[in-house]
Amino acid sequence: MSNRFWPQAFAIARRDLDRERRSGEVAWVTIPFGAVALLLVPLAVGINQDVLSRIGTGMLFVVVMLFGVLTAVRQTNIETPAQRDAIALLGVDPVAEFAGRSMATALLLLAFQVVMGAVTVALYGLDLAGWEWMVVVMPLTAIGLAELGTLSGSIAASTNAGPALVPLLVTPLAIPLLLGSTQTVESITRDGVNLSWLVLMAIVVLVLAIVGVVTARPLQETR
Amino acid sequence: MTDATRRSRSWLDIVAVAAVVGALVFAMTSPRVESQGDSARMLFIHVPTIWLAYLAFAVTFVASITYLVTKKLKWDLIAGSSAEIGVVFTTVAIIGGAIWGKATWNVYWTWDARLTLTAIMLFVYIGYLALRRSIPDPEARARRSSVLGILGLVQLIPVHFSVTWWRTLHQSNTFRPRDIQMDGPILAALLMSVGAFTLVYASLLRHRVHLAELELVALEAAAATEGPVAGDAVTAPTIDSAGAGE
Repeated sequence: MSNRFWPQAFAIARRDLDRERRSGEVAWVTIPFGAVALLLVPLAVGINQDVLSRIGTGMLFVVVMLFGVLTAVRQTNIETPAQRDAIALLGVDPVAEFAGRSMATALLLLAFQVVMGAVTVALYGLDLAGWEWMVVVMPLTAIGLAELGTLSGSIAASTNAGPALVPLLVTPLAIPLLLGSTQTVESITRDGVNLSWLVLMAIVVLVLAIVGVVTARPLQETR
Repeated sequence: MTDATRRSRSWLDIVAVAAVVGALVFAMTSPRVESQGDSARMLFIHVPTIWLAYLAFAVTFVASITYLVTKKLKWDLIAGSSAEIGVVFTTVAIIGGAIWGKATWNVYWTWDARLTLTAIMLFVYIGYLALRRSIPDPEARARRSSVLGILGLVQLIPVHFSVTWWRTLHQSNTFRPRDIQMDGPILAALLMSVGAFTLVYASLLRHRVHLAELELVALEAAAATEGPVAGDAVTAPTIDSAGAGE
């Protein structure tokens, strides 16, 4: 790893976060959209408080996964082929680019999860026992989803289907993350934390990181 | 294509068809399972189809890695062709499972871990095929789809182990070498069926890869002979330097 790796990765992450600061897409579009979805579910399934508190955690992570994809797609939507060429020609390490993009998306997704978590607790009346584990679950979900979104965004960039393809690529592959996050929280409320689900999430995050690192260069070369 | 290649392909077809006929005979003549009746014979379709789905996606995974290492387009054609066959057989496995489920559980669909994850696996590879369709350039298509071909295998692990991780309605894995709970004739018929389906897969894969190679040749030929197209004669307006500003 060259000594330019981390400066490049942080520069890419800073650029993506600056874009978000200017456009406010996650803050003003994705988060309200997710909150509306959480508001709609009780209207569809009924407002029985027992039912809502039982499905609340699951709904939270479903919304995080489905709407988090919008955050991951963001970069595919806004970047032109010329911009991608410019980054490659500037000599930016493709692995640093992958790491930087993933870091920025993970931070945005973490913020998204925290807000959605607060909305879910307020609307669904969730029992917060064991929620201290969210300190581990939420970052793992955010990192995994960010890696998956960055990879899928790179794969689908400049294709005929474009951004429309990314949700189809990300959502089924994010299932281990969804299972890990929901089952961890469920196991806490049942009989104490089951670390095997956290281990599953950590393995998925690691595998995605390895695939991202190994395939970053071939993907950059195909732009 | 050489004569030897053509001959070996037709031999494979003949052997595959013969094996299917043999497997059918074994399946129909195997002992009746008292608890399930004749619906238990779905075993000889359901298990081989899901085995083929696993095999096809595993081949996609291996061929994708091999493409990224060797950069030989042939491996990408194998990966894509195998995924197509895998999608077909996964669909057949799900539909067959639903029919069998209706007969044994009295429902076509249940929120069983194995069923749900298999359906999700199908969508992973539908996404893979959608990605391939959306990239016209063979090299770009190969590189990008090979990444997804590798990622797709992540999904196979929870699908396979789902019956162990969650003790739900679906029976546990059929093949457990240390704990075979199946009568000899039924096991023989099942193994025959698995073998026959595997040969069918090999035959289909060879034909599909050949077709993909022909598509590639046709694409290259079309690109090489590309003549003028409508609108070529129209040139963009330019500013005459002498008359600029007039």
